Amino acid sequence: MSPSHLVLHGLAIKKHADAGDIAGLIGLAPEDTARRLDDAVTSGRAVKVGDKYLLTPLARIALESDYSRHYADLRENADFFAAYEAFERINVQLKALITDWQTIDVGGQRVANDHSNSAHDAKVVDRLGELHERADAILGKLATGLPRLDYYRRNLLSALEKAEDGAIEWVSDAKIESYHTLWFELHEDLLRIVGKERAE
Amino acid sequence: MATPLGDWVLALDGSTLPDKALIGGKAWSIARMGALGLRVPPAFVITTRACAHYLHEGSEPASLAQEIAAGIAWLEQQTGRRFGAGPNPLLVSVRSGAPISMPGMMDTVLNLGITDETEALLAEECGDPGFARDTHRRFLDLYAHIVLKSETALATDGRPADWRNAIASDAGESVPGRVEEQLARAVHAVFESWNSRRARRYREHHDIPHDLGTAVAVQAMVFGNMDENSGTGVLFSRNPLSGAPTPYGEYLARAQGEDIVSGKHTPQPLEALRTHMPHVHEELLTAARLLEDAGGDVQDIEFTLEKGTLYLLQTRAAKRAPRAAVKIAVDMVAEGRIDPSEALARVSSEQVRTLLSPQLANGAALGAEIAARGEAASPGIGTGAVVLDSDEAERRAANGEAVVLARATTSPNDLHGMIAARAILTEQGGSTSHAAVVGRALGRPCVVGCGAGSLDALAGETVTVDGQNGIVYRGALEVVTPHENDDAALRQIAAWAAHQSPVLVTSEPRNGVSVRFDENIEQADALIAALEPGATVEGALFTNDDKAVRAVIAAGAATIVTSPALPALLAAAQAAGRE
Repeated sequence: MSPSHLVLHGLAIKKHADAGDIAGLIGLAPEDTARRLDDAVTSGRAVKVGDKYLLTPLARIALESDYSRHYADLRENADFFAAYEAFERINVQLKALITDWQTIDVGGQRVANDHSNSAHDAKVVDRLGELHERADAILGKLATGLPRLDYYRRNLLSALEKAEDGAIEWVSDAKIESYHTLWFELHEDLLRIVGKERAE
Repeated sequence: MATPLGDWVLALDGSTLPDKALIGGKAWSIARMGALGLRVPPAFVITTRACAHYLHEGSEPASLAQEIAAGIAWLEQQTGRRFGAGPNPLLVSVRSGAPISMPGMMDTVLNLGITDETEALLAEECGDPGFARDTHRRFLDLYAHIVLKSETALATDGRPADWRNAIASDAGESVPGRVEEQLARAVHAVFESWNSRRARRYREHHDIPHDLGTAVAVQAMVFGNMDENSGTGVLFSRNPLSGAPTPYGEYLARAQGEDIVSGKHTPQPLEALRTHMPHVHEELLTAARLLEDAGGDVQDIEFTLEKGTLYLLQTRAAKRAPRAAVKIAVDMVAEGRIDPSEALARVSSEQVRTLLSPQLANGAALGAEIAARGEAASPGIGTGAVVLDSDEAERRAANGEAVVLARATTSPNDLHGMIAARAILTEQGGSTSHAAVVGRALGRPCVVGCGAGSLDALAGETVTVDGQNGIVYRGALEVVTPHENDDAALRQIAAWAAHQSPVLVTSEPRNGVSVRFDENIEQADALIAALEPGATVEGALFTNDDKAVRAVIAAGAATIVTSPALPALLAAAQAAGRE
């Protein structure tokens, strides 16, 4: 895998991130990643705002046409593809679970969960733990085909355990690398690898 | 001791009731029913000590395989069946059972013992090849998910050989060919689930020692679809809708338990069983009385009849409708089974709120045209426009419209529509179908089993659903709101609650200064934080939110004014009772 492709891929997944975040995702050293990102800025493929980077629109399109070349072998790998399909199945369950996290039944109405009912929250976090263990087995298979995906395994578990310990923003807060944020990035990553569009 | 078959395995023959720490919660409840003299499908248990040994030594005790074989031999002798062989095959379930229930433990593997050969024998025995094939698929599905940790999806129209291949390629290992090896692997999977990440964290969080271990219950499967004298059903020791002290239940001949729950078939009332097999009916009622006496609460009992023999599968305290919860709590104090404090703990303020919610006005139903009738599954009155689709129900309710959801049957996919609806109607299913169970849990009026094709024509029409009587009226009928003082059982609950409550809760406005919440509802937390000791608080919040009641008591309030008062009074009494 070419490092320059990986850096741009990392930027496409993280959207608006600093060099350290992107380095973690793609498994390159932070200094190396920062240098390559600055190169991308010089060549007009990325822009830097503060310490964060963004892909330019043209680079985004160029990147998308590049996946089939980089992941040709993986796309032919039946084990990897079977694991990807299993991920899509469990993704449906994760979405339902996140809905139960974000909304709650109050007097017959489905309203935004204000997280005042700790019993409801604890039940959903427990279900997330159960789902995670099944998802982790699938991620193990995906990482066998593409080791950098271990990043998601480590960080999903870490987000889950923070939520289990009571820091519930780690379930789905979009502003941090919460379980749902990471899951969404993972899904995006996998769709690019296998060359599919998001279903909804 | 339930008879030991060696150092690590006990046959649960009902002779005595072993310690829950040794045999775990699942086996304990099987043994308890056996010790009461009730017939349960024969079972043996691999003790928590065997698990501790496995986890400590990294391998199972040397004699365990032999003792499990003795357990299987005992099941074979009890059932007259053979494990993994003919002429009548024995299938078993394998369940984890820790002494304390905790997350992360292994789910149940059902139908273990089915093979290509025993599938054919089972098909012959029950005369239903489709059922035998599905039994085979369910086993492979559970074994793959639970033991091999595979997420393979098995097509319902596939063949066993294809299923096995799909599992082997996904899991990287095959389902063992020998049933004894399948059983050993399932037992090890239960042992290992003791050390699952979630189970370990749970124990650390709750100071539960890591060396307790889990037991494994291995139980013979029984089948309710073998012949005309087979079937399955559910029995409540009292009526869970009205609370009347008479047993209440449903029975479906020639069927398995999931057929009742799915609502795809409409079961018959228990009376049908009395006519068909009076001795079985009598045996069931005796069992219900025994279990209620032993449990001190209304029991919800699952049973199966296999070729005329009654087996009790499970019993637990029954979920009940609000009216029933109040009546049963009051009745059980009168019967000397529980004290008033326990009675208060068994009625929720939510149930009282429901009872004090709007009902059909006297005479409102006279002359009203009946649009449909079915089985009363969850009481209450709901009026709205009939909608046939759950997504549409949710959308229209979100726009402020009152809707009534009407479906052929409901499944978990309809939950959002059921939540959005003022009432729920189904064409098929009985009072233990999904729609009925969920409708009761949500407190929605619900009428089930209105008949195939009976509801489509009502789409768009405004109806009034009477969930207590199972009637759907055309149009919007007049509705009244009951008062807590008009009902003897509620008055009794109120008297006990007033005695136990640490504060005065009343619907009568008080003289003097009171902190009013209605006008300042968005600042409720700040108002509570600023309360003076001995304060009087006032607002609808306290009728609708137990937490607010507890918070103002903790903050030192002496009087709560709200209407109706009983839900808040009950919450206040329960807060004191819990201390």
